[in-house]
Amino acid sequence: MWGQILLLIAVVVFSAFAVLAKDLIKSAISLAVASLFLGLLFFQMRAPYAGVFEISVVAGLITVLFMLVIALTKTGGDVRESKLATLGFPLFFVVFAVIDLIVMKGLLAKLPALAGPAESGTFGDVLWKQRTFDLVGQLGVILAGVFAVLALFRKRDNKDE
Amino acid sequence: MNSAWFVFIGFAAALLFVGLYALLTMRNVIKLLIGVEVIGKSVTLVLLATGFVKNNILLAQSLVITVIVVEVSLIATALALVINIARHTKSLDVRKLAKLKG
Repeated sequence: MWGQILLLIAVVVFSAFAVLAKDLIKSAISLAVASLFLGLLFFQMRAPYAGVFEISVVAGLITVLFMLVIALTKTGGDVRESKLATLGFPLFFVVFAVIDLIVMKGLLAKLPALAGPAESGTFGDVLWKQRTFDLVGQLGVILAGVFAVLALFRKRDNKDE
Repeated sequence: MNSAWFVFIGFAAALLFVGLYALLTMRNVIKLLIGVEVIGKSVTLVLLATGFVKNNILLAQSLVITVIVVEVSLIATALALVINIARHTKSLDVRKLAKLKG
């Protein structure tokens, strides 16, 4: 359990650094490191498929996308963040953590426990047989993303000008 | 639910706070997207932790994979929008988008 808590602390620390860092490149790399630790945590929780996806897609692909956009825009460094927002973060975080510790357990105890049968079979059985319809939805989401990117980078026709 | 679940949910809540803080206080559009990413991490952590504690890890994994796919699609589209915003306004400052107000 302590190993998992250390990984969770690393995820929160690197995520906070990703949000607060002035340099966007450092932010993107910090986000990738946070995803890496989250992926390692997934492996520890006996979820290797989720871990592989987290490390390869979130830590890999999304970081590449962020880097690409930071390189293409270059104006990102011109935006000055509010100093109050950066300096006030630790204070707000401590206040949130205290409220969380006091309130959360009571709130979660009120949630009704969902009863579910114990799982059997393999990951493939669950993914391809139980959740077939979701996979169609996933394909739809990917296609929607592809078409959205295509639409956003559409070349203007000469007739329109 | 055992105490391990409360620990996981506590850290997921901390991640959610970090993401929301970024969305509420940051001015750079890319930082806002990083905030959205952090909130996505919080969601995947909650899903997997609940599956782990309730011995439903296979179903939780397939849900996490769904969330990751949606997240990638969202970020790709949003980053394409960011590039267009940077071309039009020559800045990534979210306050300059207020010009779009009718």
